[in-house]
Amino acid sequence: MSQRKNLFKKKRSSEEMTLQITSMADIFTIILVFLLKSYATSSIEVQPSPGLKLPEGDSKDAQVEAIQVEVSEKGIQVDHQAVTTLDNFHFQASDLNSSGIPNSLNHSFQNQKKKQTLIAQANPDVKPDKKILIVADQRTPYVTLKSVFASAALNGYSDLKLVVAKRE
Amino acid sequence: MNVSSEGGSGGKGGSQDFDLNLAPIIDCFTVLITFMLVSASFLATGIFDAAAEAPGQAAADTKPPAVHLEVTLLDQSTLEVKLSGKEKFTHKLPPKDQDWNLAALQSELQQIQKKWPEVQSMTLAASNEIQYLHLIKVMEASKKIIPGVLFGGF
Repeated sequence: MSQRKNLFKKKRSSEEMTLQITSMADIFTIILVFLLKSYATSSIEVQPSPGLKLPEGDSKDAQVEAIQVEVSEKGIQVDHQAVTTLDNFHFQASDLNSSGIPNSLNHSFQNQKKKQTLIAQANPDVKPDKKILIVADQRTPYVTLKSVFASAALNGYSDLKLVVAKRE
Repeated sequence: MNVSSEGGSGGKGGSQDFDLNLAPIIDCFTVLITFMLVSASFLATGIFDAAAEAPGQAAADTKPPAVHLEVTLLDQSTLEVKLSGKEKFTHKLPPKDQDWNLAALQSELQQIQKKWPEVQSMTLAASNEIQYLHLIKVMEASKKIIPGVLFGGF
């Protein structure tokens, strides 16, 4: 009889749910340690724009600090400042001069060179740099790249550093 | 979470239990993790060294090499290797499996370097619509033999 009573006795389950904060703290610590390890504070970190796919390559050359030119489908940026728009990776005809050099990009490089020269004049430890980082989408046609390289070289940026994504 | 410590000032019994409040710790961690996730870059990048000559300008202070090597990427995955100077030839390398014949290119470059060891740089050019991806592939294969690459065709 008492067993029957036990069978029919409904246990009132507690409606309180306890959150396992200790486990959450554990997970967060591990995630934080991983992110701290991969966090880079260097100014030479290259962050391509969304939608820009870098070509893959195996390169052992070290990262350098230099003026960054980004070539994407819709436009070109110099040191994260939009300089000109592109139409499916091609320059607008009105932007190109008789030699095929884009006027807007040429003007931007001239300004950058002036800045560097002024800094070098004010600080003898700083010398004008010939290096330029090229961050271009893998689909960029050579005709566009030619114009970018020629414009850079005309303004003294002849040391090209082509940024590629490392193969996994 | 309970933390207890024994001994206390003037109390009978001695153990002082206190709860460690994990909520503010979780709060800090959440903010830090969010900041790190937004600013972290998970893209590993490398650098290929190349050079560009300003159109119409030649380096005045360097002695011209005995031969000048030029590799051009043509349409339909065809490579053209051109040597000019003391020795002249133009070799076209047809595609292999509908892709650039990089093995043949490397073999050609090795032969040139054996004959002309002073050749340490080459000019790389391409047809207008050749994509950057292909340039990098060819450049990567060529750099193993000839380390210096100069972009041309301006």
